[in-house]
Amino acid sequence: MKRRDFIKKTAMISSSLYLPGLLGMAQAPKGDLVVKVEGESPYEITKRAVKELGGMEKFISKQDIVMVKPNIGWNREVEQAACTNPDVVRAIVEMALNAGAKKVIVMDNPCHKAEDTYSRSGIKEAAQKAGAEVRFPDENRLVVHDFKGQRVTQWPVFKDFLDVDKVINVPILKHHGSAGLTIAMKNLYGILGGNRGKLHRDMAQGIADLAYSFKPRLNIVDAYRILLRNGPIGGRVSDVELKKTVIASTNIMEADVVAVNVFGSAPEQYDFIRAAFERKMGQMDISKINLKTIKI
Amino acid sequence: MKAKTGKHFQKARIMAQVVFTFLFFYLLLSAGRAGAGAESFTYTDYFFYFDPLLLLLNFIATSKILPLFLLSLVPLALTFVLGRFFCGWVCPFGAVNQFFSWIFKKSKKEKKGVDKKLLKLKYIMLILVVVSALMGAHYGGWLDPFSLLTRSVTTIVNPSVNYLLEESLKKGAKDEGIVAKGLKPFYNFSRKNLLTVKQRAYHQTFIIGGIFFLLLFLNLYKRRFFCNYLCPLGALYGLAARFSLFNLKTDEKCISCKACARNCTYKGSPFEDYLKSDCVVCFNCVGDCPTDAIAASLKVPKKENRAAVDIDLGRRKIMGSIVFGLCLGALPKIASPVRSRLHRFLRPPGSVPEKEFLKKCIRCGECMQICPTNFIQPALFETGMEGVWTPVLNAQTGYCEYTCNKCTRVCPTKAIAPLELKEKQKFKMGVAVVDRNRCYTYADGYNCAVCEEHCPIPEKAIRFREVPTWNFEGKQVNVKQVYVVPDLCTGCGICENVCPRTDAPGILMSAEEEQREELTF
Repeated sequence: MKRRDFIKKTAMISSSLYLPGLLGMAQAPKGDLVVKVEGESPYEITKRAVKELGGMEKFISKQDIVMVKPNIGWNREVEQAACTNPDVVRAIVEMALNAGAKKVIVMDNPCHKAEDTYSRSGIKEAAQKAGAEVRFPDENRLVVHDFKGQRVTQWPVFKDFLDVDKVINVPILKHHGSAGLTIAMKNLYGILGGNRGKLHRDMAQGIADLAYSFKPRLNIVDAYRILLRNGPIGGRVSDVELKKTVIASTNIMEADVVAVNVFGSAPEQYDFIRAAFERKMGQMDISKINLKTIKI
Repeated sequence: MKAKTGKHFQKARIMAQVVFTFLFFYLLLSAGRAGAGAESFTYTDYFFYFDPLLLLLNFIATSKILPLFLLSLVPLALTFVLGRFFCGWVCPFGAVNQFFSWIFKKSKKEKKGVDKKLLKLKYIMLILVVVSALMGAHYGGWLDPFSLLTRSVTTIVNPSVNYLLEESLKKGAKDEGIVAKGLKPFYNFSRKNLLTVKQRAYHQTFIIGGIFFLLLFLNLYKRRFFCNYLCPLGALYGLAARFSLFNLKTDEKCISCKACARNCTYKGSPFEDYLKSDCVVCFNCVGDCPTDAIAASLKVPKKENRAAVDIDLGRRKIMGSIVFGLCLGALPKIASPVRSRLHRFLRPPGSVPEKEFLKKCIRCGECMQICPTNFIQPALFETGMEGVWTPVLNAQTGYCEYTCNKCTRVCPTKAIAPLELKEKQKFKMGVAVVDRNRCYTYADGYNCAVCEEHCPIPEKAIRFREVPTWNFEGKQVNVKQVYVVPDLCTGCGICENVCPRTDAPGILMSAEEEQREELTF
């Protein structure tokens, strides 16, 4: 064996040992992992998605106070798909508590009356059963926070979201009249108080500003039931489609892009995705996203 | 009966008052705390069914009998036996007045003796409300004790207690500083158990509150002022009590010390000026008598005694009040708004046509208390002179929750007719109208559509279309301009409520196409 051959062969053999890794590096994009899990039970697919990301322990330290921020915006039932699936919330609360969180709080600033939306959506019951504190938004706890964005600069925010150690963003994927879709980035409007309606002008920039400045530790998109039309409030069960999917990622924009893909449309056509892309928050092309799809 | 038993009766009377007042407040306030869900039913309206005045006025005005109100014949029938026991033992507003009279007792500003002239006033009030009801104007609710108390507690007492409590503990919501830390447990407790999530606000706090506190302070001048001199329900019971079997009399043990007059609610006594029509059976005199000389008995009154012990209004006063009542009934009906096709106010879902509504509504404010979003407000003059304190909708303070039909369930007189949730979701209170001079999507040329987002109709009564237009920078852009689908819109007002404009809404609800007025002419 010539020296050259030897070197070639050793290189080949040794590289073949690392082949899966090398191939992965060569073919799949390098960005943050986005996990998409499909399956029958919303509870199970949520657990699986977080497990694939590395488990809740990776994101939550012991004794952390964790805020779970679902979309509890509307006085609607689960079947109407206007609020996050309670089973998804329950799975996350359980995982966070098992990972050693000191306290898990579930809170949103809804559009309808909080007492109604919390209970009708089923989230109050599910979260309390799992051991979380369900907290109503309290206007006395609003503080002005500087988001330093183009559109959103200083705005009142519920202190609860700033005080906690980790925030887990748990939106539902659904149609939205003015934004086109509301997913993880838009869900952050729920931490705001004040005259939020004003932020519907130039909404795409507002959404991107918020997501750029306020970074949840983890984003878990509930796409189990999605609202295809007449969102964000919906109401007709005929507008709802079962997708039985959950998407999880630490990258809020890429989670949105994958969710848009699940919805069945192109990410480029949404202003808020483009606005986030301009801020270099992630990839807009789904083929460039480090996506892992699992079916159970 | 012995005086000792009399003292027991006095204690029992106080207990009964406490219990009924507590029950009244509990039922009323629990209604305000409940959410929008139709499943949590309340019994707030049940007190009203024991009010014979409302039965009478409603019958006169609409010539129909409300079946549940027939319950009020029970206390009325009992009055023929026991006298005005209802005023002394049951009526929560009577208890409130008695409580304040008791607090003010030490001021000793009161004159001694029965003021017979002033006692006549309540009969005049009764004649006025009855006669004006004949003409189709319903003033009874202004003075009826249940309506008055419910209205005042709903719009004044409850929100102000909430405000004072929240304001004094508010610092506890924040996390920094010693004061905040000290207040925090108290704040958290009251936030959880007492405070409403959102402070309620009502129109006319000064007027309704002013009248309520004035009535309470009048107890300083004469004890139980409202009950003795103004209450038309008291007058009605007084008329019945003349014929009652209940009687108080002093016997030979009496030493004429007049101790019995000391705490009498109308400042008479069984010793002198005993007025059956004004005695509320409170047993204070029996309790105060040092020689146990007052005997209570149930026996048929003799005819010749009756005239001597009761107040006679006199033919002139009766005629005068009738004429005045007729005027009161007629005046609002010839006011110019009545002739106008336009009206700018909206009524709660299920409301009957306006003419009938004014005859039925007792201005009690139950609907305002039960409305979870603070949408229903007491009117001042927007609905005309006789519509004072009737419920109107205000989208600046609230909106009609799509999944709620509670106001249609609590109205005691069915001025707001009961609706199933499905019916209510289709009930047209009015229609939203876009003000194109103000709406951002028209006037300034940029996207907004907050109203479209909130529209609760599943098919969307507010939609938008993308239209090329000139924006405020002078550039031509495509803007999603909102428009209303009148056939779908129910006038729930959430669009006006959430419109982000801060001067005047860009979309507002109007009484156009009101369902309840479809068949009126």
